Amino acid sequence: MLRPATNRDVTSQATSESLHQRVQEFINRSLDLLPPERFDDLALEIARFQFAHVPAFARLCRARGVDLDKLDSAHAIPALPTDVFRLARIAAHSPDQDRRIFRTSGTSQGKEVRGEHPLRTTETYELGALGWAEQLLWPDRHRFAVAVLAPSASEIPDSSLSFMIDLFVQAVAERSAYVVHDGVLDLDHLQRFIGDAHFVGLPVLVLGTSFAFVHLIDQGGGRDLRLPNHSRLMQTGGFKGRSREVHPDELRQQMSVIFGLPPSHIVGEYGMTELSSQLYEETLVAAWNFESDVKHGIYQAPQWLSAAAADPVTLEALPPGETGILRFVDLANVDSCVAIQTMDLGRVTRGRVELFGRAPGAMLRGCSLTVEDLFVKGSS
Amino acid sequence: MKTDRARARITCLIRASRRIQDPADPLGREARDRLPEVTGLTGQSVELALREHFETNPTDADINALLASSSSAPVCHVSLSANVFLAPLRALALAVATSETVYVRPSRRDPVVTELLVRALSEDPEFAANAKSLELVEMVCPEPGHELHLYGSDENLAAIMSTLPEGVIVRAHGSGVGFAVVSAQDDLAEAADALARDIGAFDQRGCLSPRFLLVEGGAVRAESFAVIQHRALLRYSEKYPRGPLDAALQAEIAQYRATIEAIGIYWEGPSHGVGLDPQPRSLVLPPPARIVHIVAPTEADLETLLAPWIRYVTTVGTNAKNGLSGKLKEWLSHARWTHLGDMQCPPLDGPVDQRTQATTTACWR
Repeated sequence: MLRPATNRDVTSQATSESLHQRVQEFINRSLDLLPPERFDDLALEIARFQFAHVPAFARLCRARGVDLDKLDSAHAIPALPTDVFRLARIAAHSPDQDRRIFRTSGTSQGKEVRGEHPLRTTETYELGALGWAEQLLWPDRHRFAVAVLAPSASEIPDSSLSFMIDLFVQAVAERSAYVVHDGVLDLDHLQRFIGDAHFVGLPVLVLGTSFAFVHLIDQGGGRDLRLPNHSRLMQTGGFKGRSREVHPDELRQQMSVIFGLPPSHIVGEYGMTELSSQLYEETLVAAWNFESDVKHGIYQAPQWLSAAAADPVTLEALPPGETGILRFVDLANVDSCVAIQTMDLGRVTRGRVELFGRAPGAMLRGCSLTVEDLFVKGSS
Repeated sequence: MKTDRARARITCLIRASRRIQDPADPLGREARDRLPEVTGLTGQSVELALREHFETNPTDADINALLASSSSAPVCHVSLSANVFLAPLRALALAVATSETVYVRPSRRDPVVTELLVRALSEDPEFAANAKSLELVEMVCPEPGHELHLYGSDENLAAIMSTLPEGVIVRAHGSGVGFAVVSAQDDLAEAADALARDIGAFDQRGCLSPRFLLVEGGAVRAESFAVIQHRALLRYSEKYPRGPLDAALQAEIAQYRATIEAIGIYWEGPSHGVGLDPQPRSLVLPPPARIVHIVAPTEADLETLLAPWIRYVTTVGTNAKNGLSGKLKEWLSHARWTHLGDMQCPPLDGPVDQRTQATTTACWR
């Protein structure tokens, strides 16, 4: 039974709606190359809204002695560690208003401690995800045969990745095929689908996880999986114990051979459950523009997502170009937390994020259990 | 007869360990010179550990239990890494109980106590009369039928085990974690003082160190206890300050602190941290640097909170048998159970990590 709405709920929802409108306007203007409103002003206004309605964020600000009214820079907003999403509800709205709950994949300690990111509305997420993907994945055309090497949203409704991929399928798929079911890759289906795309002359957009591509490499020997002209591929995520680990360069090279794609047309995506926006490698766009100095491993953030490296000890933002743990200010996180602290090591230069993997754990000087142990065991 | 020779070897080993414990013995002096730099512990903490946590006075019953916990093999290999610095005594005791021929690979980072024990035994004619060989090696190379005692991180253990030939008997001791229960009957100040000793020893690097403190009596009592624990750790660290932290550990502490600040309260001292989660959904592992995570679970939440950790728990400290402790016992019967304040003083009666006894298997690759 739904609980009756309170005055506080109504006020909160009205403010949230207004902020979503402003973020959507920001996204639209950015995509149209028009100057949006000042990023820091909007981020700080969202932070002040969340201070009033997200207890965990408010506690963090108070513990840090931060007065949001006195800040001028978005990267001075205390960033909530991603771990908090599994320890407390991070939402400005009540559970009965949840439209979606995205959950982390629970790689470290099992399903019972998965992080949760509740969304009251998915409209802003959808606008940003589609808009940015259009710029980095399909700037040149809008109709594809889409092959998905990941579970569908109907199979895993709480996966933000599956939700995003379904969005892409709905947006650009003339036809589509989900070729992973219950964790099993259906190579016959994939091969038939690619053959049909050749027959009808449609380029293929392949969307999948790194470990699915490793399974494809391991199982697909001898099959003709070369894609039609103008095809491309988006890969995301690590391996998380679901396949053998393969160095990104080697994986890309092998996929390039298997699918008959130039390496530039294999685009890495970086996202996480706790964010509503994504980053992409710019290699495809660079190839279209005949730019040769764009490398893999560097991800471009959209204008509504600001990345910075933070000092791992003080957690304060570092100057551009310095290496630290990545923190993000994501305007699309209107109803959860606008500033997120990760444990991923990276460097940020002019909005481009170079990823170096997870920050290394402390040097082991005893047999005390460490977070590293949890990652190793949890992924086995 | 075999047992008599094994008992004699253990007796020699205990004698060697007493030399290291003795600050007047050349081995004791060398230990005190080398250990602070090698371990990263302060000199005060090294001295405390040598005095209070070195198991140099086992009873006959302890040694009987240790002998009973070990098997027999023509050769026993030991690979030590990532353990607290006094762990080689117990590891070598188990090895010499198992075989007259022992090859030991010390921890690369912290070889001191292993080297000193082996040196002392090499000068002991009684040990020579009861053993064939005790050698330091750079690499362990067990053959089928040999026994291998592995100590280290779970990742390293898995890597080593994957390279072994068939037929090696492996006893692997991985990483672990300690829980403590502050029961409804406990005096909070006494419990906090006892736990400060358990937390402070070895700067919380051992698998017997309490990391999670479960407080009975609700969130308000847990918060009161957290304040008292913070003060107890402040007093403890005045005598025994924590060693320096490396950058990665400082980063883990910063991340843990930020996490706790969002869900509860964090108290920090120059050598410790106390995190309180008043409404735990799940447990957060605090970094192993005299940092404890306090929760006040109900018996109803306990299973959900505990489930992910059961396989890691090596020890439980408690003064009670009922309440939360009684519930915990249902899931953690494999752990060592001790009173608060004694968690870091296990008798020399077998492996410190008793999980291994239940999982010892032959490694048939």
